[in-house]
Amino acid sequence: MERSALYWRVVLLAAPVTVFAVLVIWPLFSSFFYSFTNWNGFNPEYDFVGLENFAKIGSDRLFIGAIINTTIWMVAAILLPTLLGLALALLLDSKVPGGPIFKTLFYLPICLSAVVVGQIWIWIYQADWGLLNTVIRAVSGSSFNYAWLAKPDTSLGSVIVAWSWQQTGLSMVIFLAGLTSIPNDLLEVCEIEGASTWQRIRIVLIPLLTPATVVVVALSVINSLKGFDILYIMTGGGPFHSSDTLAMHMYNESFKKYLMGYGSAISVVLFLIALTIIRIYFRNLKKVDEIYG
Amino acid sequence: MAETTVSVPSVAPFNPWKVVLLICVGCLALLFLAPTVGVLLSSIKTTREIAFGELWTIPGTIYWGNFIEVLTNPSVPQYFLNTIFVTLPATILSIILGVLAGYVFSKLPFAGSNLLFLVIISGMFFPPQVILIPLFQFFNSLGLIDTLWPIICVHTALGIPICTLLMRNFFATVPNALREAAILEGANEWQVLIRVALPLSLPAIAVLATLQFTWIWNDFLWPLIFTQSDEKRTIMVGIVNLKGQYSVAWGVQGALSLIASLPTLIVFLFFQRYFIKGMTMGAVKG
Repeated sequence: MERSALYWRVVLLAAPVTVFAVLVIWPLFSSFFYSFTNWNGFNPEYDFVGLENFAKIGSDRLFIGAIINTTIWMVAAILLPTLLGLALALLLDSKVPGGPIFKTLFYLPICLSAVVVGQIWIWIYQADWGLLNTVIRAVSGSSFNYAWLAKPDTSLGSVIVAWSWQQTGLSMVIFLAGLTSIPNDLLEVCEIEGASTWQRIRIVLIPLLTPATVVVVALSVINSLKGFDILYIMTGGGPFHSSDTLAMHMYNESFKKYLMGYGSAISVVLFLIALTIIRIYFRNLKKVDEIYG
Repeated sequence: MAETTVSVPSVAPFNPWKVVLLICVGCLALLFLAPTVGVLLSSIKTTREIAFGELWTIPGTIYWGNFIEVLTNPSVPQYFLNTIFVTLPATILSIILGVLAGYVFSKLPFAGSNLLFLVIISGMFFPPQVILIPLFQFFNSLGLIDTLWPIICVHTALGIPICTLLMRNFFATVPNALREAAILEGANEWQVLIRVALPLSLPAIAVLATLQFTWIWNDFLWPLIFTQSDEKRTIMVGIVNLKGQYSVAWGVQGALSLIASLPTLIVFLFFQRYFIKGMTMGAVKG
């Protein structure tokens, strides 16, 4: 019996573990390896340069810019989709007529490709006939034609708004799932004790939504590290690298300048940041489990 | 408000609060819909109309020229075929691998299986850039760059974490007694998996099929890296390429975006329940 269980474990796990090891784990360690070389992507020969790539990171003005932009993106990712998603979930949870239809509407963007979302928002920000400027012109009466994506001051923020538009639906459904798991008797007690809607939200709902909040914030932060496709479509990291993120910078160095060694070093930094966040996430998830069992 | 709801009324009294809520949600929904409506409108308007600032008005007549332009472009069917050739095998393969691993993690745990499980599912949290260069180098050395193979392989591998996670959680709800009864009657683990656990897990497979299909169809990064010639592009990279060709033909770009999103929109509208379930399960239990 024991022996046959071992046999089946090996047989059943062989394919998934092999594929995962070859195409995910091994490349991960390979990235570490290449980060110590000056490989250019084509030449089969390359030299070990030690920590040179990592030393270069410190003096790379574009890298520093990318780190700052990635941090801005993360902070915005924690605030925008989380708060909007929470607000939408609370609104929809209070049994609005047509709730399921609204839920679908808010959730719909998540099934769209970043390419399409980027395309849509390029048109919103378009200087001459874009929706945003059309509205501003209608309200102010002036001939406003600011090119949101073409100006270094607003390019990153504009992309983040577009990205949040897509992410909000995801936060909303996670909060909604959290809200449905709150026991009904608790809410009934609120009503009997005569708590106002605001008190009910502040004292009962928000604290009990802690687990959902941990998940939403962590997902937003992790997804913000992956922010690449929509940037590539909307600004390409420009103008003048004003919207470069780490993922974008890594792509440019590796596949535009063919500095694969240096690109690997950036991806190692990206990995370490992701690892730190994931560890915090898992630790909090455990705490959440301990509290709410 | 407190008094009225203590005894549950059979007919809800008129509640002005509801109307306020409805208006709030309605306004937000309008704001949320505006971008999507913009694409719909652009696809049925001429470039002239759009350039003169009439994109955001309801048109009197529908202009079909953009759709005709897209559907007669010889590249578009090729992009679609390529995307199908990538999406279907990668979706199916990743689910099969997830079923195998998920079954072991839920029904045949062993010393260290939790750690292995954690390693596998953490795969879904890392930015793909972390493994981009070595994978490019790997498939380049096999001479597979500019074919669809690397995209299929990578999506299969990257689908393993979410598929394993969902299948493990779902198999955990299949009673152990069922498995033991089957084993007592002489079935082996493979037969238990195929004949007992799998038929009970069709909802989980539906969830994964919707999620994986949508993600792989919509993906941009991997086909961008692994393909070079126009004949091998998938639809999402393809429509970015075509943007150059139609640089000011905004209506054609809108029609392209719409047609490229049609398969995922259909899947979403029909299988929305599974989609949402998968998103929340994957997120909350992760």
